[in-house]
Parts: sequence; C-alpha cells; structure tokens
Amino acid sequence: MDYDPMIMDTEASGPSVKITEAGAHNVDFELQHVDLSFANSLRRVILAEVPTMAIDLVEFSANTSVLADEFIAHRLGMVPLNSKNVDDVAYSRDCENCTDRCEACSVTLNLHARCTGDDIMRVYARDLVVDGARANQWVGTPVITDPEGLGTVICKLRKGQELNVKCIAKKGIAKEHAKWAPTSAVGFEYDPHNRLRHTDLWYEEDPAKEWPPSKYANQEEPPQEGEPFDYDAVPERFYFEVESVGNLDPDAIIQQGIKVLQQKLASVIQTVTEGEGGDSNGMNGGGDYADGPRSPDTGMNGSGWQNPGYETPYGGGNASAWGGGAGAATPYGATPYGQNHTNGWS
Amino acid sequence: MPPKSKPAEAKAAAPSEDVSMTDAPEADSPPLILDEHNPAIMAFGQQRIRTVEEQDADLLIQLPGSHEFAASFEFTKEDHTLGNALRYIIMKNPDVEFCGYSIPHPSEELMNIRIQTYKSRGVEGTGANWFAEGTPTEALEKGLNDLIDLCDVVTEKFQGAQEEYGTKMKA
Repeated sequence: MDYDPMIMDTEASGPSVKITEAGAHNVDFELQHVDLSFANSLRRVILAEVPTMAIDLVEFSANTSVLADEFIAHRLGMVPLNSKNVDDVAYSRDCENCTDRCEACSVTLNLHARCTGDDIMRVYARDLVVDGARANQWVGTPVITDPEGLGTVICKLRKGQELNVKCIAKKGIAKEHAKWAPTSAVGFEYDPHNRLRHTDLWYEEDPAKEWPPSKYANQEEPPQEGEPFDYDAVPERFYFEVESVGNLDPDAIIQQGIKVLQQKLASVIQTVTEGEGGDSNGMNGGGDYADGPRSPDTGMNGSGWQNPGYETPYGGGNASAWGGGAGAATPYGATPYGQNHTNGWS
Repeated sequence: MPPKSKPAEAKAAAPSEDVSMTDAPEADSPPLILDEHNPAIMAFGQQRIRTVEEQDADLLIQLPGSHEFAASFEFTKEDHTLGNALRYIIMKNPDVEFCGYSIPHPSEELMNIRIQTYKSRGVEGTGANWFAEGTPTEALEKGLNDLIDLCDVVTEKFQGAQEEYGTKMKA
C-alpha cells in the first residue's frame, strides 16, 4: 500500500520548478517531471479560479454622460483592483456577519466627477475613492501602473456632464466572470519540437520551413532525422508564462492557484470521509456498502432520485442488460438526460 | 500529415464502425455476469457510488450494491481541473487497476470518476472468494491526499525557485 507517487515517476527527484524570467507583472517558469494532467490543472486553476476583487454592483446617483449606466457599470467592473491578501475578504454570498454586504465581504468605492471646464474631461480609475472600512489596507484599491498614475479611462465628460456612482467591489473568481481574472494570459507550452505529435501542424509543403521555431525550441533536443516515433514518451517539461493584470503579484497567483486546487481536494476529502461516517472501511458493508449511510432516496424502489428524470439503470427496474433485466439499455442504462430506462433504444 | 487526406480516410472508416441500433443486446439474452475477469463485466456490471457535493450541505450518497473493487463517483461542480489530475494520481496507485473520468455533458457541472481496484483470491474456507486490494473509496481518498501532497511539493519547489531567482538577480 505504501508508495511514493513521485518515485514512480521517471525521475526519482520528483517535480522541479525553474524560474526563467520574473518581473513586476509576469513570471516565466519551467515545471518539470509532473504529468500533463497536473500541469494543466495548475494552468486552469491559475486562469479561472484564483479569487480577486472586482466591482460587482454600481449605484448611479447621477449620470449625464453620453454613456449608458450599464455601459459604465460594465467598464467599472473591468477595472483591476488590488487583491493582495484577498483571503481576508469573505465571499459576499457566505459572509456570516451580514445578510447583504459588509466591510468583511465588500469594498465600497465612490466616484464623483463633474466637468466644469470647456475641455473634455477624462474620468480615470484613480478617481475611484475607497470609502470606509475594508478587510485589509490593500484590497479594493484600483491598480494603477502607468507612469502618469492615471489608470484606465472610465469615461469622458463634456462641460456640464456629471458622473456620481457608488461601486461595491466583491471577491470572486474568473470562472464566474472574467473581470475577476488575475491573469491577462497564461502561456502554456510543452514539447516545442512536437515530438509527441500532440499537434498536427498544417502545412503547404514542409512544416519545418513554414512553422517558426518555438521560443523554447533550444531548450530541448530536436528530433534526429528518421528517428522512430517514441510511443512511450510523455511530456515532461512545461513552460508557463503567467502575466498578471496587476491585482495580484504573479508569484502570488501561482501559489494561490495551487492553494485553490488543494482546497478543492480538501473539500472532496471532507465529503468522502464525512459520508462514510464512523465506518471508514467501505468493505465492512459486506461489499455492497449496505451499511453505509444513505440518503433517504437511495431505497431505489422505483422511487428514483430526488431529481426527477435522472435515473441510473441500477434502480428498482434492474433493467441493465448485464443484469438480465428487461430493458435493452446500454450498460449505463438510460443516459442521465433520458426520462427513464424503460424504452432504452427503441 | 497533409490536411487533404483526412476527410477521405474518415469517410472510408465510418460505415464499418457504425453499429445499428438493432444490434443492442436482446432483452432475454443470457446474463453475462459469469466471468468476473471479463473487463466488460467489470466495467458495467456493478453499481455506482455517487458523491454529491452540494454548495452548502456536503453530502455523500452511496448507492447500494456497489462492488468492493469497482465504483463510480459523481462530483458536482467539478471539471477537468480536478478530474484529469485526480485520474492521473489515482492511476499511480498500484492497487488500482483502472481509473477514468468523464464529463457526461458540458452544460452540466458534473464529473464522474470510475475506479476499479485489483482483487486477490480469497482464503479458502472463509467464504469470501475475492478480496479487493483496496476499496475504490480508499483509492479515491488516497488519490486526493496524494494530489494535495503533490501540490505541497510544487509550492515548495516554486518557492525554492523564487529564492534562487532572487539571489541570481542580486549577484
């Protein structure tokens, strides 16, 4: 039973990381000796599941600009907000301190601009003023990286036009809305010479001539002329290029990403172990988990699941072809989308 | 390969692969649960376990009748991010014969993992014919823990690489 999953990999040393370039807004690194699936999980989690702050609600007191309220609200949502130590902020939906929102789960930003001069006035992200208490000193401040310290343009005002809004920033993830993305891009590359043939390069005459070499082509040995295809080969080195929007440090994004992945796993472990109750050995149930905890609907005597229309073939009907049942269903019986398994193929 | 050749190949191969609906097993065909070594039986003959993670109330539902050495788990609100990495790490477990994952439909936030463990012959006279080398639930738990450990290692290595890069910059 005891084994070290890493020792079983090709390299006994296990995974390794090498940073090739790092700046204020980007980090390039090489991840080695992990499986493609893990590297891809890391990429996905960095891209879509690292929490950040973004404006989520906008209350308009005055908007006499040429742009519609919702148009400006959308622009405000896109303004990157500092999300350092965003763990201090709770998700608004499961904040325990409030029913709507509070300092622990949101940051309020005010924007009030009126053009009085003859010139057209630009309203910038720097004009957003953090109002009131917040979870920590960083969270919710607009990210301003340009040398003039202006930030992004939110709208333009002509003489006499006014914009007065109250913005509520909340914590969220990019899976819900891209405005919560910590990265503008995550580069992900492996096998620069396409030795594994994971890519089918389109070509007119000769792919070697028509395709420019990858940035990482010199990192790996090019295949020899006439070399036989190694069908056992697996990708080993992954080249990441993480580019931050500015709301989180690039290295923080990666570490947060791994943390998010671990939290996911931890929540599943909790579900699995809780579900087993005191009896952690699934075999004690005589092999059929008969003694395991059940939800009330698992009597399965035709009553089906709580969710109507979702039936497994293992229900009271016993219609699996393998079980000698009546229905000529697929081994899995009706698909989850079918009504039930009685009419199977017909 | 040149892209032009592809459609022709596909067209040629298609008819032979297409099995008509009438080829589905007859209702009165003999039950196939005779040979436990038959991979088809292994894959389809047993019941499913269902892990349902709900947003506020975590819940594990185990379907009755699942085998000691084969089970499927259904995860709600999970996708390839967890599925593929978990599949890989569970396959690394030497007790596991098979592990696969699927997302039945892209519009549903459901991810299924199937785990089958090796079985060894039972001791004569004890009544049990087969023993699982480890139950699928154990394999799942082990996989989850291993993946957490892997994440820890990568975090550690990343921090190490950061320090190394920092010192390189100073030098």
